[in-house]
Amino acid sequence: MLDLQSRIDRLSEEEQMIRDSAASFFSTDAELKRIRAQRGKQPGYGADKWQEMAELGWLGSMLPEKYSGMDLKFCEVIHMFEQMGRALAPEPVISTAILGAGAILNGDNETLKTNYLPGLASGKWKTTVAWQEKASSMDVEAEHVVATTEGSSYSITGKKLFVPCAAGADAFVVSAKTADGTALFLVDKDNQGISLDYADRVDGGFFGTVTLNNVSVEEDRLISTDGAQVLSKVLDEARLIASAELFGIMAKALELSVDFIKQREQFGKPIGSFQALQHRAVDAFILTELSRSVLIQSANTFDRTQDKTERAIAASQVKARCSDAALEITKSCIQLYGGMGYTDECNIGLYFKKAMVLAAWLGQGTYHRTRYGELTNAA
Amino acid sequence: MDEKAFRKEISEFVVANFPDKWRFPSHRLSLKETHEWQLTLNEKGWAAPGWPKEHGGMGLTPYEQLVFQEELNNYGVNIAPNMGVTMLGHLLIRYGTQAQKEHYLPKILSCETRWCQGYSEPGAGSDLAALRTSAILEDDHFMVNGQKTWTSFAHDADMIFLLVRTDKDVKKQKGISFLLADMKSPGITIKSIKNLTGSSEFCEVFFDDLKVPKENIVGEINKGWTMAKSLLGAERIMIGAPKIARYPLQLLKKLATDNGLFNDPVFKAKYTALLLDVDDLDATFIRFGEVLRRGDELGPEVSMLKVWITETAQRVTDLLVEVGGEASLINESIQLSDGSGVHPANHSFSSRPATIYGGTNEIQRNILAKAVLQLPS
Repeated sequence: MLDLQSRIDRLSEEEQMIRDSAASFFSTDAELKRIRAQRGKQPGYGADKWQEMAELGWLGSMLPEKYSGMDLKFCEVIHMFEQMGRALAPEPVISTAILGAGAILNGDNETLKTNYLPGLASGKWKTTVAWQEKASSMDVEAEHVVATTEGSSYSITGKKLFVPCAAGADAFVVSAKTADGTALFLVDKDNQGISLDYADRVDGGFFGTVTLNNVSVEEDRLISTDGAQVLSKVLDEARLIASAELFGIMAKALELSVDFIKQREQFGKPIGSFQALQHRAVDAFILTELSRSVLIQSANTFDRTQDKTERAIAASQVKARCSDAALEITKSCIQLYGGMGYTDECNIGLYFKKAMVLAAWLGQGTYHRTRYGELTNAA
Repeated sequence: MDEKAFRKEISEFVVANFPDKWRFPSHRLSLKETHEWQLTLNEKGWAAPGWPKEHGGMGLTPYEQLVFQEELNNYGVNIAPNMGVTMLGHLLIRYGTQAQKEHYLPKILSCETRWCQGYSEPGAGSDLAALRTSAILEDDHFMVNGQKTWTSFAHDADMIFLLVRTDKDVKKQKGISFLLADMKSPGITIKSIKNLTGSSEFCEVFFDDLKVPKENIVGEINKGWTMAKSLLGAERIMIGAPKIARYPLQLLKKLATDNGLFNDPVFKAKYTALLLDVDDLDATFIRFGEVLRRGDELGPEVSMLKVWITETAQRVTDLLVEVGGEASLINESIQLSDGSGVHPANHSFSSRPATIYGGTNEIQRNILAKAVLQLPS
């Protein structure tokens, strides 16, 4: 297929560099052997790859330079995550670099920032955000995880669900209900009273359940007393980034499928010459271009403004489109592969499964369309 | 170009000069019925946004033309395109003789001559190159026989530009020429085609031994097909413009609001999905428009805009009809609370040809499959 991006989009030098270096990073595993081997194996990603990513600056990509970050713009970093999506990379870059780093950065505890963010950027220290308490709930106010004050420290009790990349995390950013609203705490994994459970995900990864039983944290581990606001901000940023990954997944799945139908012959012809398949592939292609256009538009919005409503609108628009498009396209691709598409041996199913995970995480199409309608006062 | 200032200039002019009675009509208005406005535009020098200045146009780039059109659309201007301006003008400027340019171009601008397009035939729709209206050169004229169909507003037109067959013995695309004919000539019969809305915008035009002066051929004989294909410019992107669906979406919002439907979560969900189908296309349209703004050209990928927005428009009009309930079945406009009216059934009817004209959506998908996805024939 044509490389439309080179005709339509004018990437800056930085964007091209980031895209090309990320593409090259993953080019060694075109057959997805590493991805397959990683499935079902704790911690769910490669420690060596993690270090390599750290060395390339990926983990500190959104951090300011004073914390050893690259201070990239959103319109630049989406290229990195597109490549991660194309490669089905299992590394928890988004959980650490966007959610975890973002939560600490946007909090008001300078000491925590100075003490942990450089380590995060270097790959030595990993964190993830444990905020969700119920399936399908996007509520940023903690309800069941409660932090009660005990002198100069807090005691946290409750359970957090669907924590991405919990295994291997050195600490968790936990949202808990206090007398004054939702607060965010940095809780070391070794704290007494923490237990972790893991559930196998359909894509071979894991979701963690973090149970806190009277976990004691000092007040100097308080990231923010306005946890809801910080969470809203970083979750919207993560939605944009997850959309970039979803875009990579759908684009690569379609490219593979188009190549497949050019080669696969039946009735003496390549099946890609049959109009029904051509139209199916075209409809999938149109969705990829809609997705890419909204991704670029939303990334530009995030770079242009800190206004939380504008960003929320942009996040919902892109997450809704990319979630639904990725699902529709990867399913359509399975159809293009015919019987082979249903096998585990064929790689196309891996794209569907990853799309399923990222589509549902951080709010799927339905949730985001509703939010978009409400925020734009359109509905 | 200072886009903001440009937009302001256009919208101020439109607000000051475009009559309220013609804003947001239930179906697009003809050049004839909006003749006053055509004259106003020409007085301002705005009759031909896309023509070079030396021929009386505004000399706007494709992107600027987009902006110009957007400002008009936003104000509710919904008039059938001026074929003389959008199609014939470019043809004459590029391929016409000096005499033809001097004779025809000013009259297009002043609306002294209204033109219609004679392309499609009963046997040549998607397969336009299969056209059979013949033109045989005899002394000082071409003898034309045949039939055209889907000619918009032929009954209002003074002249017609025609694709005719001038050679039957070669590959079909290589035997086509461009002729200009006077609609008042003997031998021309017009029959209007009543459509599903009950109105008759399109016509069949019959040619029985029509004589067309031989100097009325545009460009070289038998080169008509190549010339016609080369004309596609800014118009290509406009065929996929967001307004195609946004306009009925605005009407849907008004009717649904009047009916209290925004309290119904089921309706809200359907509406928001359609809104996003339009807003996401908008982002894509702007992204593709950037290519034009840079001075580059768009390729076959532009077809996807048309496919998406026309199918979205149909989903919008489907919901519009549903929202009206039984009131949608009555053949008159439903009164809206802001004093305007909406005729859901007519919007649904008139959205059917959107996926058919300008290359059916099936053809567009075939083009995208071959030219963009590079799938084999």
